[in-house]
Amino acid sequence: MTSISKNKPLNKQLNKYAQWKYWVLIVTLIILFLSALPSWYGEDAAVQLSTKSPNTISSEQVYQVLSHAGISSKRIDQQQQNVLVVLQQADQQTQAKNILSESFADRAQITLALAPAAPNWLLKMGFEPIKLGLDLRGGVQFLLDVDLDLVFKNHATMVSDSVKQFVRKEHISTVLVRQGDGAEVTIETTQTDAKRLIRQFIAEQYPLWQVSGHQDMLVVTLNESEQVKLTNLTVQQNLQIMRSRIEELGITEALVQRQGENRIRIELPGVQDPATAKNVIGATASLAFYPVAETGSVNAIVLKDESGQPVYVARKPVLGGDHIVDARAAVGDFGMSKVNISLDSAGGKLMSDFSRDNIGKPMATAYSEYSRNEKGQAQQTTKIISVATIQSQLGNQFEITGAGSHQEAQQLALLLRAGSMTAPVTIVEERTIGPSLGAENIANGFAALALGMAITLLFMACWYRRLGWVANVALMANMVMLFGLLGLIPGAVLTLPGIAGLVLTVGMAVDTNVLIFERIKDKLAEGRSFANAIDNGFNSAFSTIFDANFTTMITAVVLFSIGNGPIQGFALTLGLGLLTSMFTGIFASRAIINLVYGRDTRRAIKV
Amino acid sequence: MNNNQQKQSANKLQRLTQWRYASSIISIVLMLLSLTVIGVKGFNWGLDFTGGVVTEIQINKRITASEIQPLMTAAYHQEVSVISASEPGRWVLRYADIPDENKRPELQQVLAPLASELTVLNSSIVGPQVGQELIEQGSLALLVAMLCIMGYLSYRFEWRLASGALFALVHDVVFVLAFFALSQMEFNLTVLAAILAILGYSLNDSIIIADRIREQLIAKPQWSASDINNLAVQSTFSRTMVTSGTTLLTVVALWMMGGSPLEGFSIAMFIGILTGTWSSISVGATLPEFLGLKAEHYIVEPLPDTP
Repeated sequence: MTSISKNKPLNKQLNKYAQWKYWVLIVTLIILFLSALPSWYGEDAAVQLSTKSPNTISSEQVYQVLSHAGISSKRIDQQQQNVLVVLQQADQQTQAKNILSESFADRAQITLALAPAAPNWLLKMGFEPIKLGLDLRGGVQFLLDVDLDLVFKNHATMVSDSVKQFVRKEHISTVLVRQGDGAEVTIETTQTDAKRLIRQFIAEQYPLWQVSGHQDMLVVTLNESEQVKLTNLTVQQNLQIMRSRIEELGITEALVQRQGENRIRIELPGVQDPATAKNVIGATASLAFYPVAETGSVNAIVLKDESGQPVYVARKPVLGGDHIVDARAAVGDFGMSKVNISLDSAGGKLMSDFSRDNIGKPMATAYSEYSRNEKGQAQQTTKIISVATIQSQLGNQFEITGAGSHQEAQQLALLLRAGSMTAPVTIVEERTIGPSLGAENIANGFAALALGMAITLLFMACWYRRLGWVANVALMANMVMLFGLLGLIPGAVLTLPGIAGLVLTVGMAVDTNVLIFERIKDKLAEGRSFANAIDNGFNSAFSTIFDANFTTMITAVVLFSIGNGPIQGFALTLGLGLLTSMFTGIFASRAIINLVYGRDTRRAIKV
Repeated sequence: MNNNQQKQSANKLQRLTQWRYASSIISIVLMLLSLTVIGVKGFNWGLDFTGGVVTEIQINKRITASEIQPLMTAAYHQEVSVISASEPGRWVLRYADIPDENKRPELQQVLAPLASELTVLNSSIVGPQVGQELIEQGSLALLVAMLCIMGYLSYRFEWRLASGALFALVHDVVFVLAFFALSQMEFNLTVLAAILAILGYSLNDSIIIADRIREQLIAKPQWSASDINNLAVQSTFSRTMVTSGTTLLTVVALWMMGGSPLEGFSIAMFIGILTGTWSSISVGATLPEFLGLKAEHYIVEPLPDTP
């Protein structure tokens, strides 16, 4: 294990790295150093004004408004449609936003933002500061629970209602239809004939439902893959709704993410008042189908469609969105996209009556959203999302064609489902971290890091005098690499436990060097020359280093895959720290030692 | 080496064996005690696991907990725990959530008789089902990590050596858990993360000694297992001390400077590193010996010269 392999050419020198290895080392270090630099500069609070057309607002105007209010800005950048105001003081961000809203709200969308403080040449190279977690930045975090039970229940109601209807129509008596938990309907009957008919009916009308029977009972359940599909659709739909709502809140760096099966995590950095955000998140949507009235009719209400064109509709809707059980985009005949809509039985009756009398006439679909404004008053916004012509009498399952491209059909289906409010969301977790506390966490974390680093450097320098400085250079390179990697990896977020992981890495990273140095000491004690001991020491320590780091890596991976936000931050720095400490501890320190001590053939040296 | 020196070093090794046996017994006794403590006292689960509301506020430094408590209890109709935070004037309030949003009293109004100026530094509301899920997830994480580690150990080492490392691991985790049960410090998510990190760290120490034992068993097949263990512990001792030392020092730095959010984490790590070091040189190295570890278990079958 410790001897040099015999296959190597004999003229190969001991302790000599090929030149390209030094190049790899230097280039890696330089790139990661550059990537770590922007984090050193940090980020400034900023306010962004985005306008629809370029150059509607000049930076001079913005400057005047702000300086009038006594807010000083570091710089104001104007790029095409955006004006970015980088503020001198972070705590004036909200104030600045409010003041700018007063003057420019009619012309621009005003959002809170962060601007990297690093010099431009660095940013142009594509390097960005490390993203900070909410616990370091301050902000609000919500965890939403999407109630899927109700979705399944609605589907089951639809099936049980239509089975009841079918039974009545066919005059089958002594049939008991009941709804079970979730997507399940049980049908009790003693007649074999009835059972056969019902089975047939379900197979024709609801092919996605499975019928299983024991004795006098039929159990109808939605098949598994369809349940998964329904779950995914429902959660995705909610994600989409949340994203578009939060966009309106004006937070550029908000995060809306699915967590687990039916949870949605929303992070709003920089928000200090959870109440406003909660109103927006908790807004409800509804949907209604209206008969279209003649243009200019007095007995009608005027609603605007998406392009702002007025549409005249009757005052009373045919039916509301609460009757919609499901809506899916699909591809119909001739490759035309369409939206399939399922109604509950009451809705089906209303629609069938209405459509019978109105074949060939247009019907409009209106989407309304109720939310609370900043003053807590309820607001309603309604718009027409589609106008379609009724082709034939409609039942409780019908389709809307002519919705445009497949993408547009999907969008319509999404809105229809949103309007039907099939899956209410509830906030199950809410965390607010004040901005001062976030800043305090950063200060504390980095103070701990600095102290831990200082102690370790001092200790190593004193303990391994001759080799200690190598370990220290390796440790500092390790930190640079870690910060560089955190800046480079997309989606990497630094949290407070993440900083704890960094501090821990400092203590544990020297282990690699310690293991090697101890082996070198052993070899020197055996009477080898320094150069020989170095070679042997590195070689014999490697498998131990690998074993020891591998187990910690296992726990880091487990933590990362199972943990939530802050804990993932810890797992990330711990895991990355292991990788970088192997790189610097083995590769970088060997490179340095080879250069400095590689030719040292003295014996009985103290390290 | 003259005779006298050899005798001295033999004596020293003898003493080391005795020390290892004694410390192993201490470890096992302490571990049983720890398990009892955990069983009797249970944990003071943090908000992450129980659900509820925790709010940290900053008010006038002259206001005391006994002034805040009655106001809070009256407004929320329940026992509200008021704990002083790291700085004067900062309080951590913890109570069960009031599900109906409209009935939630406004904190500013509740404490208005005491102070008009009140800053909410942070607040967390966690629903009960989220906490339950976290307990499940946390246990799952521990279990999965243990299984993966066991898998790796059994692949890398012979079962006797592996079981020593594994026992040391369980020992360390139980010890840290017992500390949290005894002190009734809050057991939150960061403490759970620390426990998992301790899993990795404790193993790290044990593996390095196990690696040495294996190496020596192969190099010195005629030696007794006890002597091999002594040699392995001795020859890795300075490494064990240096690494534990630097890690311990950085954890202390974290403890001192990291502020209250990282306090539980640092303390757990601190204890974990201490016991991790202790167990790896005592019970971790001794158990394989009791299980009958011999050099034969590591003798490599000589490969025939001709294929």
